[in-house]
Amino acid sequence: MKKALMLSLILCFAAAMPAQTAKVTVPLRFDHYYTLDQVYEAARALNQAYPQMTTVEEVGKSEEGHPIIAVTVNNPKTGPALSKPGIYVDGNMHGNEIQGGEISLYLLDYLLGNYGKNKEVTELLDGNVFYVVPVVNVDGRYHFFKDANTPSSNRSLRIPVDDDRDGLVDEDFPDDLDGDGNICMMRKKDPFGQFKTDPEDPRLMVPVKPGEKGEWTILGEEGIDNDGDGLVNEDSEGYVDPNRQWGFDWAPGYVQSGSGDYPFQAVGLKALALWTRTKTNICIGWTFHNFGGMYLRGPSRKGLGEYPPQDVAVYDYIGKQAERITPGYKYMISWKDLYTTYGDSLEWLCQLCGAYGYCGEVFQSESETFKTADEKAIRPAQGGEEGPASFLMGDATDRERLKYSDNLTLGELYKPWKAFRHPTYGDIEIGGWVKMSSRLPAAFMLQDLVHRNAMAVVFSAKHTPHVTLDVFEVRKLGGNLYRVRTRLANDKAMPTMTYEAQRAKLYPKDTLKVSGGAAKVVAGGVLVNAYRDQVAYKKDRPELQFLVVPGFGRVEYQFLVEGKGEVKLTYASRHGGTLEKTVKLD
Amino acid sequence: MKRMRWVFLLSGLLVLASGLSAAATFDRYHNPAEMNAALREFAEASPGFVKIHTLAKSPGGREVVLIEVGPEVAKASKALPAVFVGANFEGTVPLSGEAALYLIRQLVDKPDARKDVTWYVLPCPNPDAAAGYFAKPLVEDPRNATPHNDDMDDAVDEDGPDDLDGNGLITMMRVKDPAGEWLPVPGEPRLMKKADWAKGEKGLYKLYTEGLDNDRDGSYNEDGPGGVDIGVQFPHLFKFFAPESGAWPGSEPESFAVMEFVNGHKEIGLSFVFGASNFCFEPPRAGRKGDADLNQIKIPERIAGYINADPNKTYTMAEIMDLVKPLVPEGMELTESMIASFLGLGAAVNPLPEDLKFYKELSDKYKEFLKTNKLDEKRLAPAQDKDGSFELYAYYQLGAPSFSLDFWTLPEVKEDKKEAEITPEKLEKMTNDEFIALGEEKIDAFLKASGAPAQFKAKQVIDALKGGMMDTKKMAEMMKQMPKPPSEEGADPKEKALLAWSDKELGGKGFVAWTPYKHPTLGDVEIGGAVPFTDSTPPASRIESLLKGQVPWVFEVASRMARIRISKTEVKPLGGGVYGVEVWVENSGYLPYPTAMGRRNTRILPVIVSLEGQGFEIVEGKTRSLVQAIDGHGVQSVRWIVRAERPVKLQVKAETQTAWSDARALDLGGAK
Repeated sequence: MKKALMLSLILCFAAAMPAQTAKVTVPLRFDHYYTLDQVYEAARALNQAYPQMTTVEEVGKSEEGHPIIAVTVNNPKTGPALSKPGIYVDGNMHGNEIQGGEISLYLLDYLLGNYGKNKEVTELLDGNVFYVVPVVNVDGRYHFFKDANTPSSNRSLRIPVDDDRDGLVDEDFPDDLDGDGNICMMRKKDPFGQFKTDPEDPRLMVPVKPGEKGEWTILGEEGIDNDGDGLVNEDSEGYVDPNRQWGFDWAPGYVQSGSGDYPFQAVGLKALALWTRTKTNICIGWTFHNFGGMYLRGPSRKGLGEYPPQDVAVYDYIGKQAERITPGYKYMISWKDLYTTYGDSLEWLCQLCGAYGYCGEVFQSESETFKTADEKAIRPAQGGEEGPASFLMGDATDRERLKYSDNLTLGELYKPWKAFRHPTYGDIEIGGWVKMSSRLPAAFMLQDLVHRNAMAVVFSAKHTPHVTLDVFEVRKLGGNLYRVRTRLANDKAMPTMTYEAQRAKLYPKDTLKVSGGAAKVVAGGVLVNAYRDQVAYKKDRPELQFLVVPGFGRVEYQFLVEGKGEVKLTYASRHGGTLEKTVKLD
Repeated sequence: MKRMRWVFLLSGLLVLASGLSAAATFDRYHNPAEMNAALREFAEASPGFVKIHTLAKSPGGREVVLIEVGPEVAKASKALPAVFVGANFEGTVPLSGEAALYLIRQLVDKPDARKDVTWYVLPCPNPDAAAGYFAKPLVEDPRNATPHNDDMDDAVDEDGPDDLDGNGLITMMRVKDPAGEWLPVPGEPRLMKKADWAKGEKGLYKLYTEGLDNDRDGSYNEDGPGGVDIGVQFPHLFKFFAPESGAWPGSEPESFAVMEFVNGHKEIGLSFVFGASNFCFEPPRAGRKGDADLNQIKIPERIAGYINADPNKTYTMAEIMDLVKPLVPEGMELTESMIASFLGLGAAVNPLPEDLKFYKELSDKYKEFLKTNKLDEKRLAPAQDKDGSFELYAYYQLGAPSFSLDFWTLPEVKEDKKEAEITPEKLEKMTNDEFIALGEEKIDAFLKASGAPAQFKAKQVIDALKGGMMDTKKMAEMMKQMPKPPSEEGADPKEKALLAWSDKELGGKGFVAWTPYKHPTLGDVEIGGAVPFTDSTPPASRIESLLKGQVPWVFEVASRMARIRISKTEVKPLGGGVYGVEVWVENSGYLPYPTAMGRRNTRILPVIVSLEGQGFEIVEGKTRSLVQAIDGHGVQSVRWIVRAERPVKLQVKAETQTAWSDARALDLGGAK
């Protein structure tokens, strides 16, 4: 009974709000952003459209009980998932950085939609596995859409933290005073204020010059002093940063704020982290954040030391190509070119999952241009005369972005100042950039953003290791003794194990095993120089060799085998798959 | 390997068959199952103040159980502070687990000790390793049962030690080898030392732990069963990619559950670890590299520009605070940790000087305490704290005063000044009869000291003297020509202490004599050496006396916890219904609130001083005033200006989670 009542209630509600429940269908559309529920629905729709190629699983639940889902794309006809190189993609780790979710969905939709139509896509899906987690911070995405926010608020996990250390927890959130679903700015008329109306665009303000009369005081983000401590909005959700909570190189809050009490305090993140460790075939991972236009790689802290040069070569190869795929984005080193982080997901992927990893900081405000080709050619001095750029101040960029908003979104991105009666400050005005501005592209640009970033992932996927096993010589040396020479070659950029993982002894290297019913391996080792017959023989258990096949390269092994009949060579690798070759001794 | 599993299984069955007698008596060591049963017994006997928390299940299937003793067992959220005591994180110090059990017994018996503080005692957080002491063959190993491929080959946990001689002990094997680096210590051939080429020594032996090369890879016992040492699983100075540390801090169910618990109980204001290190004896180690010197901070160039600093100069933290303060928005509180985080100064790695004061002071008191209890005999130094240990975590990240205690190490060997009783010079002057009169014991000692062959016993010498075949003069001559007795130099002092202890107190049972053995791959070997646990675990008969004299130190420290109270209040009418209110908040305890590290890591909340009541408004001051820190025996005052139109009665509260709370009534305008 109860269930039926609930259902009818939901249906009534749905009927009243058709826009919210427009059925998500495949192919997916990317002219809007997906709410958390719509992301779930999109995953289901993809699964229904491509049941053989996809599985949707719940990796874990968040603090508020929302499922974190993973969509796995695998063609079962070409083998089980773990037997093929894996590509991991996640998005929306920070609650407000939502477009990573759309990139994830787009990648899935694009690959699945083009399978069997486009030759490269078909090859890619037959030879690889994609693990896609569209939304990591599910609570964050849920609240970003549902609650009033600024473009930058609601990053946190929903782990209560007493930010102002007054013994009360999460008691002073911003407040949507005008009820428009945005947290904008508050300003008050004040002849002693530090700002005046921008003479060029009255919606903006510029700092007063010395001696000039002021006009406005900026009161900060929309809200009231909920806990009566004299501070406004100082203890909202969290703050526990989902990208400072991971187990590798975690540091406590006094070293870096937002790290939480201990690594993997967050239940959902922990579940996701443990899940990634079971996907031993992940060769490369991408995590999509916003914004700025960057493809970051580790190390995320100087003290960790640079990655081995062979790994850097792989990073550079893919990173520089990604810069071309998404013009304007910069391929950078996280600690050096941005800032130091501890306990982030990228290092988790690299150090404890043994993958290569990139963090995409997608979207650039520069893309919100409003200039003719000639105007574009003139680059204004940064910051201009009026001082440094900010969200509110009337510098050249903001003026241009406002014109962009006016003319390309018909004013959707900026809320004009409007009078409001504030309980503490009295007559004030509320206005400014809205939630869906500043860090998110307008809907019409979303398609371009998700496509380019998905193509960066696709390029990297093309360079997961592809190994071939050949026996290029079986020569009788006399008696029953044979020389068997074999080659493992890889025509892609990534080696079968990262050099960082080798350095850390993260897991065993690939194996090459020689076995035969009537044959015994007398000696075996790396064929250092085939022409000079130089071999570095392994002292114990010569029938089993441990190795890594480098990117764009090969390794060769020589075995001295005594006996007759068939000899089987088996290569097994977490990232390079399993290969077998049988030769006959005679 | 197979055999070992069998023995393990059998011993498991025996435990079950013998019944889990759990009564906490201290005449034997308790295995993890008995330990847990004892805890449950305590809880069942006293449900009013004892409660069990099952924290986790180890990879070996054993429960990790914590016991709570205190007045608030019925409450999920505590008003009173708590003391946390964890024992035997490394699993290889059984005595420390007994100490935890002993502490629980005391807490149960002493209502005073649990009157207004909760005790969380965790006797066995690493049960898989702790079970090793009760298993055959005996081997000391701090790792839990998480499988780990130590040698990175194609099999996991496939090459552990093997009890080849079947004596139930894993000892060492020595093998004559042309490339051997070891040789017996000349003065004590049971012990081995590394050959020192500079002294012209040449090695004779290779040393291995007892076992086979089960996986035929040329290495012996390099991939034994398990896993991870829970004792190094915590996030302060955690060592990534070290052999026994686990993949990340808290990667194991045991350690994660402990972190979850201590972070879920923010009332913990004092932490103890019972194990191998001893912060009561020796304050936490300083002098680690990599610490940010807060008096000489360099500011990176790109940041220096923003805050008007000179990147070539160094600044103190206070100076940087002054530079940054004018730049932060009004109303935003600027803390040292914000600056440290902003400048990327990293984690503190050395105890803060302010905290070393109480560590040193309490260390002196602890030594006096041991003296009073006659337990101050010279013994080998406690182990150093380990990176990733709970005791370091509790200090650096929980911000609690963190102490560790060990309860026994081997007695130091008294280096007898070999003031030989009988020198050749003395002997010359002795008559035969005088010499014989010394008695067999003394003569034997003399013979040994002068390096006589082993078969040369007192009896033969006496017979020879009596029979006239020998006299004291001739003996003195011989002695002068004899080579000096072989030196014990080069022997490891710990091994010497162990051997002395074994010979003197254990009837030799702490050391297995080297015995020939035919090894399948190494050929002729000798098996022998120290019996595992001999250097960490005294005989059970000594448990009670050791714990009785040492465990109560915990109460001494607990009695010195920071304790917040309101020591004085003052209400001054200013006229017109306006009052000045001043409240003096005191830390009546010895320890600071919080520790300097607790201030740096902002883990412990300020003292929250609040005014409660109705019919008044605050003119100046905050409803909830924050007092960041109060030193031991220190006082700080909080002031308000309050307006009340009619006489009212208010309440002022000073609240903390880890150092008690207090409240006083305030009368405004003579309200009754």
